[in-house]
Formats: sequence, C-alpha cells, structure tokens
Amino acid sequence: MADFDLIVVGGGPAGMAAARRVREKGLSVAVIDEQQRPGGQILRQPPAVFRVAGWLAERSYRPVKAELAAFEATQGIAWLGGRSAIGAAREGDGFVVHAAGPGDLLRVAGRRLLIAAGCYDLPVPLPGWTLPGVMSAGGVQAFLKSQQIVPGDRFVLAGTHPLMLIVAAQIIAAGGEVAVVAFDQPRSRFLPIIARRWTSALRHVGTFAAAAGALRLLRRRGVPVRFGLPLRSAHGVASVEEARFDGATVACDRIALCYGFVSQSDLPRMLGAGVAWAGPAGGWRTLHDDWMATDAEGLWIAGETSGVAGAAVALEEGRLAALGILRAAGRIDDAEGAAAPIRRRLAGLRGFTELLAAVGDPTEALARPNPPETIVCRCEDVTQGAIAAALADQHAPNAIKLATRCGMGLCQGRSCEATLLRQIARASGEPEGARGGFTARFPIRPARIGDLIESGTVAIEATNSSVHAD
Amino acid sequence: MTRRIEQGVERGSRITIFVDGAPVAAFAGETLATALIASGRIAFRRDGRAALRGLFCNMGTCSECFVQTAVPGRAPRRLRACLTPVADGMAIETGAGPDG
Repeated sequence: MADFDLIVVGGGPAGMAAARRVREKGLSVAVIDEQQRPGGQILRQPPAVFRVAGWLAERSYRPVKAELAAFEATQGIAWLGGRSAIGAAREGDGFVVHAAGPGDLLRVAGRRLLIAAGCYDLPVPLPGWTLPGVMSAGGVQAFLKSQQIVPGDRFVLAGTHPLMLIVAAQIIAAGGEVAVVAFDQPRSRFLPIIARRWTSALRHVGTFAAAAGALRLLRRRGVPVRFGLPLRSAHGVASVEEARFDGATVACDRIALCYGFVSQSDLPRMLGAGVAWAGPAGGWRTLHDDWMATDAEGLWIAGETSGVAGAAVALEEGRLAALGILRAAGRIDDAEGAAAPIRRRLAGLRGFTELLAAVGDPTEALARPNPPETIVCRCEDVTQGAIAAALADQHAPNAIKLATRCGMGLCQGRSCEATLLRQIARASGEPEGARGGFTARFPIRPARIGDLIESGTVAIEATNSSVHAD
Repeated sequence: MTRRIEQGVERGSRITIFVDGAPVAAFAGETLATALIASGRIAFRRDGRAALRGLFCNMGTCSECFVQTAVPGRAPRRLRACLTPVADGMAIETGAGPDG
C-alpha cells in the first residue's frame, strides 16, 4: 500500500511546480530534498531562523520566487527536507524511495515517482584543483545566497559558463573582491548573443538579462573580465594562493570553477529509464515523452534531469509533468488543452537554451591535456596517468573503475565519470557515452550501514539503464 | 578569510560548537561547513597522499566535506558538513589534523 500518490525527489523549480499542481487536484504528495528548505539550487534559501533583507531581489529570480511562495502556501504536501534519496526501487504497483536523514532512514512508498533532482557543477580536473579553496562556482554562490557569507577574500572565477558573471557580481555586491573573471573561450563566442540582444524574447530570458546586468556592475567596479584566458593550474601550500593562466599569475585565496552543469541522473538510471549522453558537458539526460514520462512505467522526470536547461525550462517541465501525472491518474479532463501553452513556451525557450549551450561550450577546455600526476577521481586519488595506463588495455567504464578505483569512492563517480567517459571516447574513437557509464548503485549518497540494518533496508540490485545513441 | 555578511542579515542565536576539541563560535541555522570556513578552517580532510582537501561542491554531491561527530561513548557518525546544520555544543572532528 503506497503512502503517497506521488513522490517527488527534488524541491527545486521543477519539483515544486509539479508537486503543487498535483496536490491541488487532491492527490497526496511527498517531496524529498537534501536541503532543509525548498527552492533548489537556484533559490538556496537562508536558514529558517535567518532574516535577510532584499534576498535575491534581482528581476531574474522573480518567476522562481513566485513558484516558491505558491509551493510554500500549498497545504498538505509532505515536505521531507534535509533528507537524501539514497535509492529507489519498484515495490508493488509503485515505488519505494529510501530517504536518509541525519540519524535515520525512511522508506517512502508512492504510486508514482517524479525525479526532479537538478544538476551539479561539471567537475573539470586541472593541476592543483584539489587544493582547499578551489571550489565549484555553484558552491560559492550557495554560500552567498543561503548562508550569507562571502567564503573568501579574493576570488578568481574561471571556466566557460556565463553564470560566472552572475556569481562574480554577487561576490562584489556582498563586499568581496574578484581578481578576475577568466573565460576560457574567445570573446567571439559571445557574438551571437550580442547580435540578438534586442530581440524581445531574449530580454525575457533570465540568464541573459542577469548576465548582462552583472557584466555592467563588474565593469563599473573595475573587475577585469577576460576572454580566451584558460586557467592552467592552481598553486598553494595548505590552500590555494595563486591561479596560473598562460602568461599571467593571479594571487587569490579562492578559485571558483564554472564550466557548465551535469544532470543528477543516478535515480532514473537505477530504475532503468532510458538515458542519453548530454552533449559537451556530459552526464546523462533522461529521455521522456510529451508528458515528461520516462520509458519506465510510473516514472516521470522534470527540470535538469531531462538535460540542463535552466530554471525557466524547469518550471515549465514541472507543470507539464504534473499534467502528465494527473492525466495518468484520471484526475484531469482536458490535459491536452492545458499542456498546449506550456509546450509553446518550452518550444520558445529551446532556442535560448541552445544559444546558451553554444556560448558556454566547454569542449576545448575539456580537451586540454593535463600532466599525469593530475587527480581525476577526487575520492580515490586516481591520477590522469593511472587512467591513461588503464585505457591502453580497455575501454569499458566499469572495467576501468575496477582496475583503477576511478569512480569507486564516496561520490559514486559524480566527480569523475564525465572526465573518464570523454577520455574513453578519445581513446576508442567512439562517441562520448557510447560504452555507457558507471552502474548507478544503491546507496547513491553515502549512508551509515547501521541505519540500513536498523531500518531493514537491503541493498537493491541496480537495473542497467539502456543508453540511447541520441 | 571568510566573512559573514552583516548588512541586512539577522542570524539565529549565537552558539558554540567544538571542532577538533577547540570551541568555534557559530549562529543557529548555519551549516557545519559555514561554521568551519568562517572560523578559518578551509581544509576538512586529508587525502591518500596526506594532502589537505576542502569542500568543493557545497551541495551534498562531491563528498569532500565529510567530518565526523565526536561524542564520548558513542560511535561517530560521518556527516556532510555542507548539509548539516550546527547545534549548540555539537562536537565534530575533521580529518585535516593539526596543520589544517
């Protein structure tokens, strides 16, 4: 017997949008999220006991903040915050999701399951990137948004994604110092945006408007924004002290890396949903139909799980998934009519998503070779040299994992899988992701063995996802 | 150094946690990662080469920020510092050692 009609994993824009609309039609809904409060990474809320004046007041946050307010005002949603979904499996005619909290493990049963687990910063290995003080740009931004700290004195931002401009502006606005924003790619890559900046639709896409506003602030404050300046290495003794570029060394105590984002795909893969390699940044996007349903019965996805496209798309996909779920449950009369405007908006957003992907394309940065001593797998300290040696013998991801321990650590390969699969593609001459990836295994987040035993949970055999060429 | 933003921010009550045996001031609502970084502790562990490591993703994904509880007479629990709220009197151990 299911506890809920719907379990949602992920309380960001997509999960909130879907959960609220399904709940409003009378279905019972639980939302599991690793953060204490809803909002996702885009709206990492301050702790409930904080009061923050003018929190994320920029215009680009308005649509997601409106969804957050509506979600928090919706009665009867079971919010399971501060819990990690560490596994999901079929049970009866639905699913069971294991939600690990700080001191226990919940078994949450649901008739249907929606995965809206978001994405994370693409980890890009380079010499010195394991030094304390080298962080993901999203990590720095979360400290600013939620914890209200400036987590360093003097920041270098390096990578390819335009989000760097926004994070740099937020650091400056909070009183921090930015030594340089260094785009790996040449300025010419931004020309398509400049050429289209006056088209009316473009001005409504939050990312572009926010990035343009951020760039103006950085210019006013004299922060150097450079193009065609790849970060080569990070140096320091106990923590990072300088960033080295071609022909330039910049003193700093923090480096924020920003090369793009990767979908959190463990749960759909564990449940056997079809996935495809997600373009230059990599990772696995889960395939879906016109209602955001996957090819695994009863399993829906929305937001970055379907491929990284930002909060505006996530909101629309969450709305669409809600209609799909209500339609499957027989709780809505004219689902097609309600879906039509959402699909039109999604089609309208697609062009801008593609433009952003083209501008921030990290392909060249990712192809740059690293010295053999560079760490690729952060958890198990596996070096570039060890991976190169293994690639001489074999090209299967799980075989290289067994041979080198790459991907065998606490993060379950989330930090190194994309890097390894790119190198496999280069060595084999096959497309990236053609050999599949690591098997997604329970538990997908570290869990205490005592908690698993006490809750009567046993390890679940993962189903291998079928990988589609595209 | 890390700075708490003061302007327009009201925090929870002042509390004390214990990190590797030393008292560290923090505010209710903060994460362990914030309390550690704000106290100047940017390294959370040492890797297999004994090199210092710090938090990377700050969103529960990379597992670089594991620390463990240090309650006398009780088995330690490993926690991701970036996801765990502080509590008054909480005692934890990093893996960074004396020079971290």
